[in-house]
Amino acid sequence: MFTERFLRDRRGVDLEPAERAMLEDAIAEVKTVGPRQIIVRAGERIEQSTLLIEGFMSRYIDDRRGLRQLVAVHVPGDFVDLHSYPLKILDHDVATMTAATVAIVPHTALDRIKTDMPSLIDKLWFATLIDAAIHRAWLFRLGRLDALGRVAHFLSETNARLISAGLSDGRRFALGLTQNDLAEICGLTSVHVNRIMRQLREERLCTFRSSLVEIPDPERLARRGEFDPAYLYITPALAPGEASKAQR
Amino acid sequence: MSVPDTVPQPETEPGVATAEAGVVILEGPDGVAVTMTPDAATGTANSLLSAADTARTQTRHGDTST
Repeated sequence: MFTERFLRDRRGVDLEPAERAMLEDAIAEVKTVGPRQIIVRAGERIEQSTLLIEGFMSRYIDDRRGLRQLVAVHVPGDFVDLHSYPLKILDHDVATMTAATVAIVPHTALDRIKTDMPSLIDKLWFATLIDAAIHRAWLFRLGRLDALGRVAHFLSETNARLISAGLSDGRRFALGLTQNDLAEICGLTSVHVNRIMRQLREERLCTFRSSLVEIPDPERLARRGEFDPAYLYITPALAPGEASKAQR
Repeated sequence: MSVPDTVPQPETEPGVATAEAGVVILEGPDGVAVTMTPDAATGTANSLLSAADTARTQTRHGDTST
């Protein structure tokens, strides 16, 4: 089953068996893609959407000098460019960050879902609304937090999303990103990220070595990053840092 | 008209600059997080000192124009 992580453990949107079967049937192709491959280019017409099964992907915008700002990171279970179904042309590139396995869903198949199973369309819409919530948190992170807070917020958010996807035990998860990736995510230079990671390690908030993130005290990291997982709509019992809400 | 306190206000705490791997990292105030070459850091420092002197004059004279 390719869709098992889609909307997994999200409040109130469990897929019914018939809905999941229809989504599985909508997949035209499953393929593996190497790391750092562009899947969608800004401005090109798109007739399909991509469900990420394994690996990490990003959406990004480059400035005139070619310097990159990541505007989204996607984890397994995310429908990476579902918004291309109504938009057809995206305003940003979509690329793999690590090797990835993706399922391709043609927009014609989404047309059929819209006709035959409106309840599933509502849940696909819900997924794009979570994307929008993550974008709002992204803006908050870059606009209001200091450098250490930005990294702490991103790692707390990623931990929460991977718990939901069944890929983190809450204190440890694999993250195949580089410090350059973190720099492009957090709007910092690589040397600054390097120092922040050292600071996180020294303060026993987090270690990130050999693509493995370890968070000894998720609530303390969440507090430092002003991270409140409410915007992810994760089943409350699974969300890390719930206790941090009371301290914001 | 009073300014709502949700709007960012002038910072009263200074940012902190440190040297790391041959560059200067300026953190704060607020969400400032920028890395500069030594020359850019010196230029920024001079510009800040000059602007601070001007700002003090404006405060004394009640002039807030730049």
